[in-house]
Amino acid sequence: MSAAKRVQQWATFARTWHVFDCKWQDPYQSANLIKKYLLGLHKPIYHPMNDCGDVVVCVNSRDIALRGDEWRKRAYFHHTGYPGGASWTLAWEVHNKDPTMIIKKAVYRAMKGNLQRRHTMQRLFIYPGEEIPDDVKQNVTNQIRQLRLVPTRLDHIPEEEVQKFPKVMDYPSDYVLK
Amino acid sequence: MVFLTLSNLIRCRGPDEFWRKRKIFRLAAHFLGRRRNTYSVAVRNVHRALVYSTKARALKKEDMKNLWDTRITAACEQQNITAFSLREGLERADILLDRKSLSDLASWEPKTFESLAAVAKQKLFFDGFVDTTDKKEPTGNDINLNSVWLEGLKDGK
Repeated sequence: MSAAKRVQQWATFARTWHVFDCKWQDPYQSANLIKKYLLGLHKPIYHPMNDCGDVVVCVNSRDIALRGDEWRKRAYFHHTGYPGGASWTLAWEVHNKDPTMIIKKAVYRAMKGNLQRRHTMQRLFIYPGEEIPDDVKQNVTNQIRQLRLVPTRLDHIPEEEVQKFPKVMDYPSDYVLK
Repeated sequence: MVFLTLSNLIRCRGPDEFWRKRKIFRLAAHFLGRRRNTYSVAVRNVHRALVYSTKARALKKEDMKNLWDTRITAACEQQNITAFSLREGLERADILLDRKSLSDLASWEPKTFESLAAVAKQKLFFDGFVDTTDKKEPTGNDINLNSVWLEGLKDGK
């Protein structure tokens, strides 16, 4: 690196496109992480009036994980504005209706309510599965690391690998597996 | 109370009314409507504005502090160190830089900041310091290839 180019940063003012895999992630904790990238809080040049936020593409939003029995307990409120127009929808109902809604609302609520919030939300793309449009995919250059490790399920490991795994002992022939 | 001097009995009305009011109107020049045209309304609003500006002098320092902290936190994340342990490490290494200098270095001299972070990390390592505020949230460093989603990143590009 030459002395003149020591601090050269071409991409400082460019929008980077990040991808975030929502599989098995808590949407409310991930929202704080996603928010950081949307607002540009991860850059040392951050200023609230400096439009340095990035674009975040969330994939697999269908596979988010809520804590405990939040799927049954958490309610999303809506009011039509008319008397008696209040409605509470449970998280699992919202998720069945639109698998991107919970993560979208979580990110929206994580950000401070100001005039910029709705414009910042325009830079968030959420897809329920792994398939994303090519015009979005070609821009993606970075991946945000997941907050939690995605656990591997035993029934997803190939049969021969399970058989090959070293065992301490075999079950006795008269042992009844539950 | 006995007043022996006659001139002390004259009530002093201060400076001329025009100039007295003009001082207030000058300060209210950028207000709108009656707040700039009517003295009785203008004087109230000028006093309020002056109180705001007095309070803002302290608030500005606080705001700048918050902004520097945000920037330093961002830069620390890039170096895989928490802002707390950077501060602790630099202090132990007798590098006494304030928030302003650190955030300036972070944005204008990223390589210098990287070195400072390395110094802090090494100093804390030598001292056996454990950062309890570190939530071990994943950062750009030490990528686990199991969870990599992009094909391009998998090849290590």
